[in-house]
Amino acid sequence: MTDAVEIDSEAVWPADADDVDEAYLANWFVREGAAVDAGETLCEIQVEKVSIDVPAPVAGTVTEIAVAEGSDFDRGAVLGQIQASA
Amino acid sequence: MATESRDVTEAAETERELTMSRAMVEAIAWEMRNDEDVFIMGEDIADYGGIFSSTTGLLDEFGRDRVMDVPISETAYLGAAVGAAQAGMRPIAELMFVDFFGVAMDQIYNNMAKNTYMSGGTMSVPMVLTTAVGGTYNDAGQHSQTLYGTFAHLPGMKVVVPSTAYDAKGLMHSAIRDDDPVVYMFHKRLMGLGWMPSPSGPKTAVPKDDYTIPFGEADVKRVGDDVTVVTLGLHVHRAMEAASQLEDDGIDAEVIDLRTLVPLDTDTILDSVRKTGTLLVVDEDYQSFGVTGEIIARAAEGALDDLSAVERLAIPDVPIPYARPLEDEVIPGTDDIAAAVRDLHE
Amino acid sequence: MVGVNKLKTMYEQMVTARHYEERLVDEYLVGKEPAFDISAGPIPGELHLAAGHEASGAGVCIHLRNDDTVTGPHRPHHIAIAKGVDLKRMTAEIFGRETGLCRGKGGHMHLFDPDVNFACSGIIAQGCPPAVGAALAAKKRNTDAVAVAFLGEGAIDQGGFLESLNLAAVHDLPVVFVIEDNDWAISMPKDRVTDVADGSKRAWGFDLPGVRVDSDDALAVAEVAGEAVMRARDGNGPTLIEVQVHRRMGHFMGDAEAYRPEADIERAKQRDSIDRLADDLRSHGVTDDDIDEIRERAHERVEDAITWAKKQPEPDPEEAYENVFTNPPATAATDGGENGGAN
Repeated sequence: MTDAVEIDSEAVWPADADDVDEAYLANWFVREGAAVDAGETLCEIQVEKVSIDVPAPVAGTVTEIAVAEGSDFDRGAVLGQIQASA
Repeated sequence: MATESRDVTEAAETERELTMSRAMVEAIAWEMRNDEDVFIMGEDIADYGGIFSSTTGLLDEFGRDRVMDVPISETAYLGAAVGAAQAGMRPIAELMFVDFFGVAMDQIYNNMAKNTYMSGGTMSVPMVLTTAVGGTYNDAGQHSQTLYGTFAHLPGMKVVVPSTAYDAKGLMHSAIRDDDPVVYMFHKRLMGLGWMPSPSGPKTAVPKDDYTIPFGEADVKRVGDDVTVVTLGLHVHRAMEAASQLEDDGIDAEVIDLRTLVPLDTDTILDSVRKTGTLLVVDEDYQSFGVTGEIIARAAEGALDDLSAVERLAIPDVPIPYARPLEDEVIPGTDDIAAAVRDLHE
Repeated sequence: MVGVNKLKTMYEQMVTARHYEERLVDEYLVGKEPAFDISAGPIPGELHLAAGHEASGAGVCIHLRNDDTVTGPHRPHHIAIAKGVDLKRMTAEIFGRETGLCRGKGGHMHLFDPDVNFACSGIIAQGCPPAVGAALAAKKRNTDAVAVAFLGEGAIDQGGFLESLNLAAVHDLPVVFVIEDNDWAISMPKDRVTDVADGSKRAWGFDLPGVRVDSDDALAVAEVAGEAVMRARDGNGPTLIEVQVHRRMGHFMGDAEAYRPEADIERAKQRDSIDRLADDLRSHGVTDDDIDEIRERAHERVEDAITWAKKQPEPDPEEAYENVFTNPPATAATDGGENGGAN
């Protein structure tokens, strides 16, 4: 069993949105239980009207979606968890 | 003649899902990778990626020679697409809003749609005209129309209206590979844009490989015995929502997504009408001389004896107004559909 | 020459227009943050703001009378303000209210005010032919009214514009075409869509005078436009003017301008025609107190309009069926039928 890896919104926060604290989760492209490759697009967030694709930090299985589609979240929020494949 | 399988939309929950815009782009990119003759041009399709994200990422992969921003000269570039198609290429040309067709209608209708016929079949025009359609976001009369009927009325163009990501990808592959001009009308509200939230239906599982959906095959989205609801585009999702409301009242509606207007899958409509005996057609285009009248006429021609009642919901022959209460009044809503089905069921 | 009183009027219109756009940003974003949903909030739909375009509207319209016609593009507020469109009813229209200029049917891209002969179209360049028509009517009726069509530089590759230039030229019609060059057609810079940097050269192909005002300078615009309007009024035919303006905001609200270099946005903000005109006023002896007073009056007028508009009632849904025709045929859908549809 490997560790769960966080899908971190801070990691994709755009450099020019440093003064922005809130974002919106526009779309999830996977559900809990999905097997994903590293770098595969997991979801799309919107920061200051700019859409940003969030890639999978590791290959593995999406074990948790923490921020639901269509909801707002604070900068730094963990969007979900991936159980890394061995 | 309803299509093979809808399993894919109910596929394993572990399968990747896409928005309609991403599914369209995936098909275009696949075709561009595999056929040097495919290229795309339009306004704001390169750096911007399409105002409705219909071309996002294509510039990065294919460069400006094949992903061309063009001057705001629809007559010139839509006509150029016709010429390039006649020269053997497979252009895709995007008309930003279908409402802008007016300035270029001569190229669309007198060249794109007619040249095959008027040349006695010696020429073909294998191009795709992609265009954004539809209202529900208060953009008023020059940016909210669907004009489905206008394009379907004029002979010589195939007319495609996807309502899900799965269909959007398969229909796009088919459109690009088709040897005739195809008008591919995508509804803004279904694209999955962060700034114009979609209803829950259009985002579906989408296979990564290429696949085609044949034109002229409607999709029975929901099987039912009581009332046939024929619709397309955004209203497929409104009809499905209405159908699930009606379930609680013991009314079992059948919902048919036309998917293509030209060719039109009359058989699936007739089969359903023969079963239910009643027909509701729901359209986001103007009511008179359009899609609703055509579907009802075909039902009457083919299944008159089985029909006990018909009704239609469409834009009531007024331009689309701006203010929210006015726009809501004229675009058929879920409740309007449910009410009309109840009427028919009585 | 443009005298100091006219300059003060222009300044007031420009300050009004700028403050109006800035206030509309606030109002438009209500209900749209942090998630930007274009259909949410008290002002839904697209909103194309003209901050940075003020010199063109004010510099041209200062020469116009109520009976002169103006057609505007999808970015019309500054022109409407300069032409004297009723600000309260225009604002009510943008809020989609019953007492709006168009009873809530048009919205911000489609403002119509027959009292001052103002109209616009959301389809680019398509205000040009109707402006030619207004000029044709003036000529046929032997009035000395003129017409002015405003369009963006992205619109000058449209047939509707080029055909209008030709029609106006061949009939010597009293019309002035004003290109507002803000460098960007949504995401497309001018040099990607035309090899002719100076749009006023389009006039040469029709043997018309074409003049470019190469800076955000309201006074320079007013001088060039004054000659063009006089030429038209005197029966000497059309003129094409291109005015360099700048786009301080995105193409529409919600446009993150990811395609636009940061330096270009900054450069646009430096080129402020309003500050420049204030300097012109000072050089004419207008005091800072006078300038402040104008600004305050303009701001107050904008606030009054917005406050008034927000108190106005929304239209009754049944109004959707009215005004399709001036003389509705007896069989036309007016009551919506039993399902709210047409007969």
